[in-house]
Amino acid sequence: MGGPMADNRMKAYAGAAVLALLVFLPLVFDLGSRVMNVMVTLFIYVILAQGWNVIGGYTGQVNLGIVAFFGVSTMVTHFLWKAGLPIYLAISAGTLSAVVLAVLIGLPTLRLRGMYFAVGTLALAQAAQTIVGNIFTRQVSMPGSFSAQYSLSPRYYLGLALACASMGVVYLVARSKVGLAMVALRDDEEAARVTGVRVFRYKVTALMISAALAGLAGGLYGYVRLSFWQISSVFSPSWTFDALLSVVVGGAGTLFGPVVGSVFLVVLSEVFANTLGQAHLIIFGFVFILVVLFLPQGLMGGVDLLQRQKTSLRPETERESEAHRPGPP
Amino acid sequence: MSAVIQALLIGILVGALYSLVALGFGLIMGVMRFVNIAHGSFIIIGGYIAYWLFTLWGIDPYLSIPAVMVCMFVLGLLLYRLTLAPLLKYPRAEMRMDKSLLITFGVTWVLDNAVTLIWTPDTRSVITSYSGSTIGIFGARVGLVGLTGLIIAVLIAVFLHLLLTRTYFGKHVRAATEDSGAAALSGVNVQRTYLISCGLAAALGGVAGVVIVSSYSIAPSAGLSWLLTAMVVIVLAGEGNITAILPAGLILGVLQSMSTLVVSPAYQQPISLIIFILVLLLRPNGLFAHGGTDGR
Repeated sequence: MGGPMADNRMKAYAGAAVLALLVFLPLVFDLGSRVMNVMVTLFIYVILAQGWNVIGGYTGQVNLGIVAFFGVSTMVTHFLWKAGLPIYLAISAGTLSAVVLAVLIGLPTLRLRGMYFAVGTLALAQAAQTIVGNIFTRQVSMPGSFSAQYSLSPRYYLGLALACASMGVVYLVARSKVGLAMVALRDDEEAARVTGVRVFRYKVTALMISAALAGLAGGLYGYVRLSFWQISSVFSPSWTFDALLSVVVGGAGTLFGPVVGSVFLVVLSEVFANTLGQAHLIIFGFVFILVVLFLPQGLMGGVDLLQRQKTSLRPETERESEAHRPGPP
Repeated sequence: MSAVIQALLIGILVGALYSLVALGFGLIMGVMRFVNIAHGSFIIIGGYIAYWLFTLWGIDPYLSIPAVMVCMFVLGLLLYRLTLAPLLKYPRAEMRMDKSLLITFGVTWVLDNAVTLIWTPDTRSVITSYSGSTIGIFGARVGLVGLTGLIIAVLIAVFLHLLLTRTYFGKHVRAATEDSGAAALSGVNVQRTYLISCGLAAALGGVAGVVIVSSYSIAPSAGLSWLLTAMVVIVLAGEGNITAILPAGLILGVLQSMSTLVVSPAYQQPISLIIFILVLLLRPNGLFAHGGTDGR
C-alpha cells in the first residue's frame, strides 16, 4: 500500500500549506469584510458537512434533518450568550443540547432501516421549524452593544479552529473502532450484525458525533449572526440540503470530500450568484446527479480514480467492483 | 357537536387529498423499492401546469387534469430513464434505496430551482367562479372544491386498485413487486413495468397538484412538506401496501383535523410527526399489516 500512503502524505502537506495560508493571510492582508464573510460561511459549511459525513458518509444513514441539531445549537448559543454567558460556554452548551437531541431522535428512528431514518429526521426538522416559527414570531437579536463591538476576525479564527477540530474528529473517529464499525454496518448491515457488531449502538454513537459537529456549526452560526429576522430560518431544510450536497459532491465517507464540496458550493455560489442567479443552483443539482451516478466516491474519489489509472492497474476495491457489476434487470 | 362534525368532514376532505398526494409516492416505493424525494416537486409542477392553463387560456383546473397527467407522465418517464434506471445495476435492494434517495434529492434540487426560476417564489392559486361556494351536510359547511378533491381522490384510488388487480399490467406490477427476478424469468418485462409505473406515479402527483392549486395554494418551496405528508401516509399504510393508502390518508386527515379542536391549527404538522413516530414504534409495518410479513 505504498501508493495511498504517499498519497496521504501529499494530502497532509497540501492541507498544512492551506492551513498556514488561512492562518497568516488575514494577519498580513486586509481581506475585506466580503471575503471574510465568505470564509466564515465556508467554515460553518465545512463543520456542518463533516457532521453529515459522519452519519451519512461513514455510517450510510441518510439524514435529511441534520439541521435540527444545527438549529437547536444556534438557538441555545444565542440565548445563553444573550443571558451573559461567555461565548465559548454558550457554544459548548449548544453543542451539548444537539447531542441530547440526537439521542432522543436516534433511539426511535435508528431502530428501523430503509427510508424511515431519512423520513423521521426530515419530519423532525420540519416540525422543529414549524414549532419555533409559531413560538418566536418576532425578530430575535442581541443587544446593540454586541453589534457595536462586532468584529469578523475572532469569528474567522474560531471558525478556522473549529473547522480544523471537526476534521480532526472525523480523522480520529474514522480510524477508531467506532469508525470501523460504522463503515462495516454501512457496507453490509446484516454481515456486520452477524460478525458481532452492535449495529444499533454504533448507529446511535455515530448520530451523536454527527450531532455534536452540527451543533458546533450551529453554535458558530449563533456567534456570527447577531440578529434573526425569523429565527425559525435556522431550521430551514436548505442547511441540510447544502450539507448533503457538499458531502456527496466532494466525496462521502472521505476526510477531505466535505471540504472540497463546501468550497465548491460556497465559493462557486459566491462567484455565480451575481452572474447566473438561480440558474447556478440548477447546475449544482446536475453536478450532484452526475456525481451520484458516475462517481460513487465523489470528486475526491474521482481524483483517486485518475491517479490509480495513471500509476498502475491495481485491482479495484470491493465496493467499487460491486457498484460496477451489472446486476439483474 | 356541530364543531365535531365540521372537523370530521374537513378531516375527510383533507385526508382524501393526503392519500392522493401519497398514491404516486407509494406506487414507486411499493413497486421499485425506490424512495422518490422528487414526488413533492412533481406535485408542485402539476399544480403550476394547471395554474398556467387556467391563467393563460382560462381552462378550468379540473378539466385540465388529463393534460396535466400527460405532461407529468412524460416527466415521470424521463425521471426513470435518466436517473432511476441506472440504479438497477446495484445488486442489493438496500443500496438501491439509498442511492435513489440521494439521486431523487438531486432531481428535487434541480426541479425546485427550475420552478422558482420559471414561476418566481410567490405563492400561486387558481380561483374559479365556484371557489367560494359551499354545500351543507348534516348542518356543517363543506367547500365545493374540497368535495371535488375528495371525489377525485376516491376515483383515482379505485382506478389504481382496478388497474393493479384486474389488468395484465397490474399483474406485471404485482409480480415485479413480489420478486423482480422471478417475474423477469416468467416473461414479465420488468424494465417496461417500472418505466410505466414511474410515469403513472408522476401523473398521480400531477393530479394531486391540480387539486392543491385549486383548493389551497402552491409555492416552489411547498413540495417538501407535501412530500413529508406522503411519507407519513405511506408509513401509516405500510410499505408496499398500495390499497391501504386511501384509508391511511383519511385517518391522518381526520386525526389532524380533530386535533385542531384541542390545540392550535398551527401545530398540525408536529401532530402528524407524533403520529408518525408512534406508528413507527408500535406498528412498524403500518396500521393495516396482517402480521407475518416483514415488509421488505
